[in-house]
Amino acid sequence: MARITKEEKRGGIISAALKLFSQKGFYITTIPDIAQKVGMSVGNFYNYFASKELLAKELLMYIAEYLGKRIREINEKDISTEEKIYEIVSMYFTMADEKPEMIQYFLRVYLSNREVFGEGCEGMICVSPFVTEMMIFFEEGVAVNDLHNQDFFSAFGLFMGYLGGMVFLFGEKILPEPLEWYKTSISQNIYNALKTR
Amino acid sequence: MHSKQDKRPTLLWIQGVTCNGNTHSFLNLPNIDQLLSKFRLLNHPSLAGEYSFEDMLTCKFQCDILIFEGTYDPLMKRGGVLLSKIVQHYAQTAGNIIGLGSCASFGGMFKASAPERNSGLIFNEEKEYGPLLKYKAKVINISGCPAHPEWISYTLSMIAAGKRVQVDELHRPIELFSTLAHHGCTRNEYFEWKVDTKAFGEKEGCLFYQQGCRAPMTHASCNKILWNEVSSKTRVGTPCFGCTEPNFPRQNLFSTKTNMSIPVDVPLGVSKRSYLTLTGIAKTFHVKRLEGKLIDYKKTD
Amino acid sequence: MTIKKLIEQIEGEANIYFDMKDGVVDFATVSFPHFRGLESILKGKHIMDALVITPRVCGICGHAHLMATVGAIEDAYKNAGEEVLLNEKIQNIREFTLIMEIIQNHFKWIYLTIIPSLAKLSQSQEIQTPLKGAFGASIASKALATFAGQWPHSSYMVPGGVTADPTNMEILKAGSYVDELISFFEKEALGISLDKFLNLESCKEFNTLEGDIRELEKALAQEEMNKKGFSHDRFLVLGEHNYTTPSKLKQTRAFSVDAKYVEDVSTYSPKEKSYAKNAQYKNEYYETGPLSRMMAIGFPIVKNMHRRFKDSAYSRVMARVFELAYLLKHSKSLLQSISIDELSYVKTSDINNLTAIGRGVVEAPRGPLIHEIDIKDGIIQKYKIITPTQFNIGSSQKSSLTPAQKAMTGLTQEEALFVFRTFDVCSVCTTH
Repeated sequence: MARITKEEKRGGIISAALKLFSQKGFYITTIPDIAQKVGMSVGNFYNYFASKELLAKELLMYIAEYLGKRIREINEKDISTEEKIYEIVSMYFTMADEKPEMIQYFLRVYLSNREVFGEGCEGMICVSPFVTEMMIFFEEGVAVNDLHNQDFFSAFGLFMGYLGGMVFLFGEKILPEPLEWYKTSISQNIYNALKTR
Repeated sequence: MHSKQDKRPTLLWIQGVTCNGNTHSFLNLPNIDQLLSKFRLLNHPSLAGEYSFEDMLTCKFQCDILIFEGTYDPLMKRGGVLLSKIVQHYAQTAGNIIGLGSCASFGGMFKASAPERNSGLIFNEEKEYGPLLKYKAKVINISGCPAHPEWISYTLSMIAAGKRVQVDELHRPIELFSTLAHHGCTRNEYFEWKVDTKAFGEKEGCLFYQQGCRAPMTHASCNKILWNEVSSKTRVGTPCFGCTEPNFPRQNLFSTKTNMSIPVDVPLGVSKRSYLTLTGIAKTFHVKRLEGKLIDYKKTD
Repeated sequence: MTIKKLIEQIEGEANIYFDMKDGVVDFATVSFPHFRGLESILKGKHIMDALVITPRVCGICGHAHLMATVGAIEDAYKNAGEEVLLNEKIQNIREFTLIMEIIQNHFKWIYLTIIPSLAKLSQSQEIQTPLKGAFGASIASKALATFAGQWPHSSYMVPGGVTADPTNMEILKAGSYVDELISFFEKEALGISLDKFLNLESCKEFNTLEGDIRELEKALAQEEMNKKGFSHDRFLVLGEHNYTTPSKLKQTRAFSVDAKYVEDVSTYSPKEKSYAKNAQYKNEYYETGPLSRMMAIGFPIVKNMHRRFKDSAYSRVMARVFELAYLLKHSKSLLQSISIDELSYVKTSDINNLTAIGRGVVEAPRGPLIHEIDIKDGIIQKYKIITPTQFNIGSSQKSSLTPAQKAMTGLTQEEALFVFRTFDVCSVCTTH
């Protein structure tokens, strides 16, 4: 039997914790719950993460890096800003569909339990790879004259708030259609709201 | 005024389209008398030379060092003689040619007087172009609007001493133009921690985020070799306008061009992605010491 | 017979055409052959960019241009219904740096222009010391740069204030530069103390002087410049400052003034195209600059000189020397009245919404400098500049001579060329 490396075990903890946190929430989920899910002792768990808070922070950075990487791939494509918007929306919805724990974690844990992420995660430090890529996306959109030049947060809030809201409705099973179905209209709405006037 | 034994190099200072700013900047040089004693000054726009300006216009003389101040306009006449004739004549035999100020270096402020034909001596903005391209190897550009007197002194002293002045790709002396105007700025700590200045007239804050400061993108040593030996633009709260660069004067000089609040130009040689990452993190930390006033004169105790 | 003379070392060049009759100038016209088009360069630009562009009109008085721009913008705010109220600190700092520019100008003019020109006229073999002028100017520039960051070409004045926020350290430092300048001036130029010099009551007392000014005064008298170079005996001051008074004087009678009555008219330059325009006040030509400013405040020794020698070349030159001395003393009191705890800048409403016209008037080294702007949403629609040399060195018909034309009439060519320089000509400003 192949030996499981430390790195793989760590990965196992991350994906198990993501699922538990996003389903049950941060406070209800305990370390024994997580240890049990990956099949290790609580003692051994502490060899990987010193506390539940540190694990939560690690998860956040893991998601931000994952999202940042996907958006960077889109940013580096030779396509119009309108097409990039569509790609970002598709990527986000696909992720919400296929790896719902990632987006749910972001919405249910990060945004709802800010106190957990106090020290070391101030401001945008832990989500920096993702926010930086969004900055690059917006800056380039204006530079090529596709997007209206405005305040970053006004645009960022419109884009991400919209997507987050849709995923929330999807998670609550309120949406009558699958997420996939909304991609085109939402992309168009975002583009229309942000494009050059 | 000079004997036949006078072996000092001859210096001629000619002007094209100019405001005389470099001339007056030069007159501020503290050791101007020592510097001038190294040369035979043939003619100068404000100092007495060995010959009159009209003598120089006959083009019967030669000079070892030609200083050209101002934008080059091929149709301009000086004292009734075409500038192109004067410049070509003296450039041909001069051992060194100095394009003095941003106008002579790149076209500068007065390129706009006749944009279709005006340029610097060997550059039109950053493109190689101009009347002295064939003598390119002899040309040293001391850009700046105006050029700093110490930079002029340095260049002339190097030439007088027979030392080679190493230049960058825009023919500016590397020893003067390898660093940025940002180097030595007293507001650097505010730049590091991304603390904007709140308004004009403040000792506190960095001028890069709102007020258009070009210091992190501008090759110049004016925050190291201070102006008039006492100060610099950024030290008195005025943003750097990038006056030593080929694109000077740009437009909207008092505001930072941003796209969605993100600066279009980031510090030279830094990728936008790295800059934004660093900025996002730096902005997160609130350094209380940098957020308030440094001195409260109204405080009574 | 017309004789053409190329004039250099006047911040550029000019040509004078002398019509001679019986060995003296019967009529002289002046042309300025160079054109730079700054007014059109400014058009379409953001008005804040004018703070960077207009100082580059002139290497020797660019600071006055900066102040005129700022004044025009603040006037535009006022015309739009928003008065920009500057505190005393802002006003004092601006005045101080402006005065330092005037002082550097006068130092250069005395040592690089007037003393050498006079030596040439009298064929004196005295060794020239032009670098004394450069030294004096460089110390004044240090004091200026202490607040303005640099000289030439500072842009530290902005609508609503100044960008600098000096500490006591800078104010003390600037004061020590002024002190250094005063001792240099006393030692090299006067031979007596500044206060003693300013308290002289009659020209006869000039023989108590010992330095370069004594030599200058003697040479002026020897060349009978107290009987030559008379202009219209009309003086004009337009800028509002605390070291002079806006007024026009006809001989010694003073009248109130308003810069809105200044107009520029075409030059008469039959021999060559000139890019200059003549400036008039209510259709009349007036002399501007130090003599006018010192007359406007009735400075005792200058009034005395005027009583005896009218607006001769002698009075014109000596008034400038006295203005230098007077401004050195005045600048000290300005520094003392800077109250450190006042703000350096008062916030104005967004300039991008400013649509108005405005006029800025400043006493530059050579006299009134006027900038007129018309801006729409912060963008320059029209920019007009009228400079002091346009008042002094216009070129007009014989029936309505400008101050310099009048002053040169009746003199030999050599004398006329000297008298021309007593006005302190700025070629680049004239053609801007």
